Amino acid sequence: MQLPKSAQWQLALPLSLFYIAFFAAPLLLLIGVSFFNDEMLTQPGLGNWRRFVSDAFYWKVTFDTVKLGVYTVCATILVGYPLALVYMQAGPRTKRILLFIILMPVLLSVVVRTFAWIVILSEQGVINQTIMALGLTSTPIRLLQTELGLVISLTQIEMPLMLLPLISVMARIDPNLIDASTSLGASRWGTLFKVIVPLSFPGLIAGCILVFASSTTAFISHSIIGGNRLIYLPLMIWQQTSVLYNWPLAAVGAIVLLVSVSLCIALITLLGRRSMRHLYV
Amino acid sequence: MNPHITRRQLLAGAGVMGACAMFPKLALAQQGSATTAIYPGAWEEAYRGIVAEALRETHGIDLQMQPLFAVDQIAQARAARGNPSFDTFVLDPGPRVTAIESGLFDTFDASRLENSAHLEPGMADEHGVPVAAQFVGIAYNPNRFDEPPTDWADLFEEPYVSRLGLTGFQTTFGTVSIIEMAKAFGGSEENVEPFFEELQRVLPHVATIGTPASMPSLFQQGQCDIMYTNTQTVGTLRARGVDIEFVRPASGVITFFTTMHIARGANEVDNAYKYIDTVLSTPVQQQLMADPYFMAPVNSEVDLADLPLSDMSEIANMVQHDWSLINPRRAEWIERFNREVAS
Repeated sequence: MQLPKSAQWQLALPLSLFYIAFFAAPLLLLIGVSFFNDEMLTQPGLGNWRRFVSDAFYWKVTFDTVKLGVYTVCATILVGYPLALVYMQAGPRTKRILLFIILMPVLLSVVVRTFAWIVILSEQGVINQTIMALGLTSTPIRLLQTELGLVISLTQIEMPLMLLPLISVMARIDPNLIDASTSLGASRWGTLFKVIVPLSFPGLIAGCILVFASSTTAFISHSIIGGNRLIYLPLMIWQQTSVLYNWPLAAVGAIVLLVSVSLCIALITLLGRRSMRHLYV
Repeated sequence: MNPHITRRQLLAGAGVMGACAMFPKLALAQQGSATTAIYPGAWEEAYRGIVAEALRETHGIDLQMQPLFAVDQIAQARAARGNPSFDTFVLDPGPRVTAIESGLFDTFDASRLENSAHLEPGMADEHGVPVAAQFVGIAYNPNRFDEPPTDWADLFEEPYVSRLGLTGFQTTFGTVSIIEMAKAFGGSEENVEPFFEELQRVLPHVATIGTPASMPSLFQQGQCDIMYTNTQTVGTLRARGVDIEFVRPASGVITFFTTMHIARGANEVDNAYKYIDTVLSTPVQQQLMADPYFMAPVNSEVDLADLPLSDMSEIANMVQHDWSLINPRRAEWIERFNREVAS
């Protein structure tokens, strides 16, 4: 059914109004707050922007946040893509079971999930107990409160965001194309990289964007699993807002987070489009 | 009495219930209510079970709770600009001073509390009243060390330092513990530089640096075996079967009060006083001190079985801190700690 133009914008109106009231307006306020020098918001100025930009510590925090997102995206692709391939080939019953397993992390409360990772990664946790029982090491490996531990846990936590778009796109790949590729003499790896991967690009890009945006802003995981040795922008924003009451500097941090995450997402989208254009030309 | 309900009675009853649902304020007004901010977790649980029940029984008042940490209460009250969403604050000394400076409290009138007679003189002031005491010292796992630590400086020496769990200045217990460590190395309430110097020396060996809320879990999981904390956390962990002992540092146990305050612009001031009065009553304080909540009382009638003191007057000899000296420097310390421990 083709709706007339007027009906189209009317349908979009409720959500637009909601976004203007609860997203655009607060965002403008946030930008406004960042241009104050003092905590009581009385002296306008660029003081907090200058402070953020001139301090190597904040640059490192921003860089670490983006790096964490990139690592998590890479890890979810490495672990998730093979699972998506299994899902594509599986029968309906296995598909249902797999889908349930994929959705599991979303069904758990974030607090339970985060504290469960403490139990898994700690020095007396499951991983260390296993490694030590196998005789691979005599002293426990430090996993909790390291970037590696955080990436491991975020990979599990963010996995559904990678897999759901990926499997929905891969399920639509015409099996005849794979058969055709094989019968025309492509090896299994050739079929994977020349047929399946390019066709799954739209799902892969959507997954990368979701995982990146979610992992760089996962405040609870950052603070509980990462601990205080690792500082990322969300933790810095929280501390400036709630502990130090310096809202202008928190606003600067929030805008930097928004801009850096948006830039990375734009980059991922651009790369994805380039690859797809290359594919169809 | 006729046990049958006529259609008219049923309709009338349903009508009243419907009206109550449409106008919730009306329903509460008949009974009365008070809204309080409360620390999430053990406090929320204890107050829901013990205080809310007692308040309903003695005054017929319904207690509404908003779980918020101290800093979040201040942030929310400041953002609300004179129209707070709760009637009473519950705060530790640092945030208390911040709130006083920001003018977030109504003047407190302790004479409106029947139970103020059970408090040590001078406890209540024009800002608020203490409702619980906290005792902070060193906690360690007795199975992991041959000798218990004796004082704050021990935390920075082997075998303790490589099993130490550190947390920064963002909480009251963290701040006062670090100040005591700084004092042990020659610092003071205004100068924590000696602590930072020692921290740089031992940082690579420290077992874990966590957020305050995660410290009990990290201890329970064996990620660290020695930390600084309050007697309440030690009691709770021990009740869950964790091997943990509280040590009174040689320089003395640190103490501070958790206080309650009436928010400026509160809706239900009378009920808020009744709520605070209920919190201070002897049976409620006694129940709050018992397993599983272990909240140290301020009411001198309460029997102090498991606490590191025998009489409330001993508090005067414990280590206390001047938050008007600490607060102006705290922001800088928090940031400094973050930077120094960031890998």
